Amino acid sequence: MGFFRRESWNLGLVAILALLFVLTKVVQPNYGASGIVGLAQAALPFAFAAAAQAIVVIVGGIDLSIASMMAVTSVAAAVMMEGASEGQAFWIALFILALGTAMGALNGILIVLTRVPDIVVTLAMLYVWEGVALMILKAPGGGASDWLMGLPIGSIPLPGVPESVSSFLPKALLLLVVCIAVVWVPLKRSKLGLQIYAIGSSEQAAYRTGVPVKRSKVAAYAIAGLFAAMGGLVLTASTGIGAPIPGPYLLASVAAVVLGGVVLGGGRGGLLGPIIAVFILRLVRTILTFLAVDPNVTTIVEGTIMVAVVMVGGVLALRGRRRSAA
Amino acid sequence: MKKALSVLAAVAIGIGLPSGVLASDYSIGVSNTVQGNGWREQMICAIKAQALSSGKVSDLNIAHRNTDAAGQLEDIRNLIQAGVDAIIINPSNPDGLNAAIQEATDAGIVVVAVDQAVSAPTAYVLSNNQEEYAYLGAKWLFEQLGGSGDVVYMRGAAGASADSDRDAGFHRAHDEHPDVNIIHEVFTGWQQDQGKQQMLDFLATGIPLDGVWTSGIDNVIVDAFLESDSPLVPIVGADNAGFVGMLSSVDGLVGAAVTNPGSVGGAGIALALNILGGDAPGDRTVLVDPALWENQTEEGKATLAAAENPNLDPEWPVSVSIPGWTDYSMEQIIACKGPGE
Repeated sequence: MGFFRRESWNLGLVAILALLFVLTKVVQPNYGASGIVGLAQAALPFAFAAAAQAIVVIVGGIDLSIASMMAVTSVAAAVMMEGASEGQAFWIALFILALGTAMGALNGILIVLTRVPDIVVTLAMLYVWEGVALMILKAPGGGASDWLMGLPIGSIPLPGVPESVSSFLPKALLLLVVCIAVVWVPLKRSKLGLQIYAIGSSEQAAYRTGVPVKRSKVAAYAIAGLFAAMGGLVLTASTGIGAPIPGPYLLASVAAVVLGGVVLGGGRGGLLGPIIAVFILRLVRTILTFLAVDPNVTTIVEGTIMVAVVMVGGVLALRGRRRSAA
Repeated sequence: MKKALSVLAAVAIGIGLPSGVLASDYSIGVSNTVQGNGWREQMICAIKAQALSSGKVSDLNIAHRNTDAAGQLEDIRNLIQAGVDAIIINPSNPDGLNAAIQEATDAGIVVVAVDQAVSAPTAYVLSNNQEEYAYLGAKWLFEQLGGSGDVVYMRGAAGASADSDRDAGFHRAHDEHPDVNIIHEVFTGWQQDQGKQQMLDFLATGIPLDGVWTSGIDNVIVDAFLESDSPLVPIVGADNAGFVGMLSSVDGLVGAAVTNPGSVGGAGIALALNILGGDAPGDRTVLVDPALWENQTEEGKATLAAAENPNLDPEWPVSVSIPGWTDYSMEQIIACKGPGE
């Protein structure tokens, strides 16, 4: 019972996602394995952006520079990988992840050292990283190694499982689950994970109980930078090039975090909710494309759905809390 | 949420279920990544008008939003899933879409890139000849200046293939007139407000100039000269309705408009229908050649006067159709209605 109450928001999101899949099938009876593979591919960069934003929001901050960091890491990867061997490209990918972590850490250090609000520092860094991306690459270009480009393409062939089933398992989804889990699962069980939640709940209380607030905050921003770098790498992987102008990932990440049940202000939520929310938002876009809805109306529909879900979810959560209190 | 879903479901039942596909009852998808620009809006309206006037298109599925190459990959994949017969794209990037274009052509879908080229070998490209576009205008400008002088060079969006092609054409003309000096080069991003501000900033420096070549952001450049009381210099722009009107009406303005029809979108529909009907062109790249209309000869003035169209949005190109490709009427493109609308 405790599981259902604890995970009620995520279960609600899964139910919405399932309903949307049914609706997709009604609208487009041919929708199947290749559609789901395409959905996972489209969701990849948004999911990493949402994961990055979620961890920063949990610690009580916000990072407006996520899309710009994705652009920097994407162009850096594309420039370095052009002409590099497959083996070299592996080390380049690791370097890019380290670069993203360092960029995120720099965001965090500036915030704790200057004591300027997160939103102001990361707004300034949005422009700084955007300029850095343009310095690395003035126009879209560069290249990507073949193995990187192959990572999110197609489905996973499982031994002993018929292709009719395994074709529904996108490689992009596996890539996402592995990358997020490798970072998030150990983190959430560690002392640092607890400290991040504690700071987000109440920075002062955390400080008084001996949490190293500054260090943990910098760590949270660094991990956000790491996720942003993963997002940059998958952008390079999917397009085969790097583009210096940031894509629409900043506002989308905030939307997914809110829809995913992470409380703006910090201390509550996880990464699973925002990632399911990313799939919901992508699938809504797919359905609207199938329905050939007027393109000027689609963004209105997307926004309306988001507000409706968050409002209804908020009311239900409040009612549930009152009942359990009574 | 439940209500929103039931509304969506109602819409789905109303318009989503495809009707029986007849022999020439094609479904066509469109992917475009710049929204709110006059040229691109004309392109979309030309696509709708041509689809309607051809009588062969049962429905259009238009993915039209501001996004990046990854977002365009998503749109193309959604259109593949929607089961369209052909996809018209205005590519955000020549190389970044290859994976999805390959998937589309593997699924038997005809892919036509309009306005700008893509490097995917299975796609057809129907584009305005951007290299020639820039060459024609720049050559005329340099000749007006007597082969020497200081010129401001206002480009489009960095990295767009149309911009790189135009840059090649501009430099071809420049190589023929080496005494012309390019004193200032900027990217307008094909944004009206940005281009105007850049010109106002430059005029405020007081650095003398003899001419301006601008990549389709033109009427606001003339505005910048007029508003800052700077003496007019020869200006070369595109055939946008506002600029074409100014070439006839603004006292002392010497200039030329080079045609760059947004109606190339309609031509893309015509090409896709030809290919679907079994009549594919031998060459996968089809170029539409531009024309130059200047206001210094009687003949040029007459052409400009004939092209003027006060019914158009000032940021729409006046060349609303492409002879030999499009067959809709002026009313149809202004109405901007596709099949079933």
